[in-house]
Amino acid sequence: MKDPTIKRVLALFALVTVVLVAVAVHAVRQLNRTVTASDWVNRTHALINELEGIAAATQSAEGSLRIYALTRDPRDLAAGRRSQVRLADHLEVAGALARDQAETARQVARLATLAESRSAFARELGSAPPESLATLFAVDAANTAVEELLRLVERLVTEQMNLLALRDQESFLQAQATRWTIGLGVAINFLLLAAGAWLIRDDILMRRRAADAMAAANAQLESRVQARTAELSAANDRLNLENLERRWANQALEHQLRYNHLIINSITDLVFVITKVANISRINPAVEHDTGWLAKDLINRPLPELVRLTAGDLPLQRGLKEGHDLRDLPATLLRSEGGEIPVRFTFYPLRDGNNVVGGVVILNRATA
Amino acid sequence: MSHHILIVDDEAEIRQLLEQFLSISGYRIATVATAREALAHAAATPPDLVISDLQLEESDGLDLIAKLKAAQPGLPVILLTSVLFDRQTVEENLSKRVSAYLPKTTPLNQLLAEIQRLLAAGK
Repeated sequence: MKDPTIKRVLALFALVTVVLVAVAVHAVRQLNRTVTASDWVNRTHALINELEGIAAATQSAEGSLRIYALTRDPRDLAAGRRSQVRLADHLEVAGALARDQAETARQVARLATLAESRSAFARELGSAPPESLATLFAVDAANTAVEELLRLVERLVTEQMNLLALRDQESFLQAQATRWTIGLGVAINFLLLAAGAWLIRDDILMRRRAADAMAAANAQLESRVQARTAELSAANDRLNLENLERRWANQALEHQLRYNHLIINSITDLVFVITKVANISRINPAVEHDTGWLAKDLINRPLPELVRLTAGDLPLQRGLKEGHDLRDLPATLLRSEGGEIPVRFTFYPLRDGNNVVGGVVILNRATA
Repeated sequence: MSHHILIVDDEAEIRQLLEQFLSISGYRIATVATAREALAHAAATPPDLVISDLQLEESDGLDLIAKLKAAQPGLPVILLTSVLFDRQTVEENLSKRVSAYLPKTTPLNQLLAEIQRLLAAGK
């Protein structure tokens, strides 16, 4: 994984993941806190209800006892005792709800003590003879337990309400913090994803430009290769044609030369080609055949050593010098094994422009 | 469709050189060594032009040309030979029998120009 863009994009996605995990952890924590706070709020509300029940039951019981003081009707006392039983139930529930709050639990215990003193008074009333009831009520008139109980209940309710208000404020702040955390996390992730998208887009553009440049370079290279190939092919064709021209010219010359040889060699008369000074430069096969001499023995040898004109050498010298023909002159030809044979001598000068450069001598056997 | 040229020469090297050169120039080439083969080929695949040597093993080029023209009257024929006559003599004697007379020493590009001229004139 050497591509720097892929590295950067992966790093960005790792950051996005970290932010997501952090936001999720924070949200779960806040959720747990909210659940805990909700339990506490419910319990607090229940405690307040129980405290209000305590106040109501107390006031009901005290009301029934006051009515009993006036009526001396045992049903009123019984009603007061029933209210005190409800008061005891509320106290028990309140004590259970305040179990985790030491100060509140202590104050609920105080309430229970005060309620118990009122229960004891009611029991005393129930068991006291009718003539002593007035005395008991007179003594109880100075008792401040009920007022203390009601004040304590009121204070506890106020405290719990204040705690609820505080908890509400805390919950609001927590919710705000959660909103901010999630919002910030989403914003950071959005920025990171935007950065990743920008990186990918930039990389794609860069790769596209590189691919376009590569394609252009390839096309240019291809064009150059094609042009070069065409040049080489044309050069090769030219070389082939030149080679063919050369071979054609060579074969034409060889053919021409061979044809010329063929013409001379096909003549059955003896043919000598001589230079300006009468030395032999070429013979035809008939010379070798009729004289026994080999070509290598005759080349560059003076013709008069081999062929002797009856009239002497002068006519041939003049013919070579002046460039005129000699036709059908008597002569003798020297054979290689000795002896001479009579021949008829014909000479044609070889002209190159206006110059005589040699001559052709043709000998045919003299007929009797 | 490229033109079809029949080459008649008893020398293999000349047939090969002409075939290579004219193939490069874009013609379809057939080569034969004898007049008999030439007549058989022309009957099977009539050529657009014939290049013939004057001297053949079993016949001579002029005789072959006469037979080819009898079968294909408008056929252009180039007579190619190393037997050197002067141009005036050739034109006087051969102009009615062959389309062109060229010595074998003629450069190949001149031969090509002559072929192009004759084929263009035959269209």
